[in-house]
Amino acid sequence: MAAQQSQGIQTLLEAEKEAAKVVQQARAYRVQKLKDARSEAEKEIAEYKAQKETEFQTFSSERSGSTQTSQSAVDQDTEVKLAQVTSSYTQRKNDVVKKLLERAVLVEPTLHPNFKAKIQ
Amino acid sequence: MARPMNDDEVANEMNKMVTFIKQEALEKAREIRVKADEEFAIEKAKLVKQETSAIDAQYDKKRKQAEVALKIAQSTQTNKSRLKLLQAREGHLQDLFGAARTELVKLPQDKERYAELLEGLVLQGLLTLMEPRATVLSREADLQLVQSAATRAAEKYASLTGHAAPEISVEATLDKDSAGGVKLVGAANRITIDNSLDERMRLLEDRMLPEIRTDLFGANENRRFNN
Repeated sequence: MAAQQSQGIQTLLEAEKEAAKVVQQARAYRVQKLKDARSEAEKEIAEYKAQKETEFQTFSSERSGSTQTSQSAVDQDTEVKLAQVTSSYTQRKNDVVKKLLERAVLVEPTLHPNFKAKIQ
Repeated sequence: MARPMNDDEVANEMNKMVTFIKQEALEKAREIRVKADEEFAIEKAKLVKQETSAIDAQYDKKRKQAEVALKIAQSTQTNKSRLKLLQAREGHLQDLFGAARTELVKLPQDKERYAELLEGLVLQGLLTLMEPRATVLSREADLQLVQSAATRAAEKYASLTGHAAPEISVEATLDKDSAGGVKLVGAANRITIDNSLDERMRLLEDRMLPEIRTDLFGANENRRFNN
């Protein structure tokens, strides 16, 4: 009779042990899942970042192209203006020199506006 | 009163208990797993969201910096261009003044007009000094011309002002390289009037700049107020 009882208890104990194992496995799964969350998140983040980086690269290479073209456009414009200025100058130079000389010899001696004639 | 169980019934009960234990364990394990999956999803989403918005902010900032840099570059280009233009104009201006100065030296060659000019210059100086005594400085080469011009100027001064004609002494101390004209000194060497052609030209160069600009290069289109 005692032998039977201890055998029964034994079986129950073993069942408990198995049960505990099952639960333990589930717990281990949970721990692993948390780690996985971290590593998978990191992977996704890295992908996202790489994507953003390539986007940015295309964006900035487009931009630098436009800077080049605008620079040469501005340079061309400047050259045109410079040529204009020079031709305008050579056209009008002599007239202005004449004007300067005329004014240099233009003398109009006048009395000072506050001058009061001496009382004779 | 229940009778004691027989072997079969014991075995049955045992099985029931074992199964029950197993069931409980499986359910508990399942709960744990389900919860783990949920937490996994939440945690992962949270991490991803956190980092991706940080990355977005980073790249936004980079973009803005790039735009600012672009604007700066454009502004620098425009500025350089304007400076180039201004330098060119300044160069032309200097060329102009050089040409004017070269011509200036030739003025004294027309003797008649030069004599008239000298008289005017001396008179202008006398009217500014308003002194009974004055010294006129001239170039060595102009000494005689200036002496006669000074006499005429003194008379005109007298008729204009009603004062007596001032005493004028002429000294040939003006610089040899000067283009011509006269300087007047009065009030015991305390007042000097520079009416030399060089000085007059210099003054003109400065004061006529707006007019010269318009004459040479046209009016300024960007100017808003012209009074």
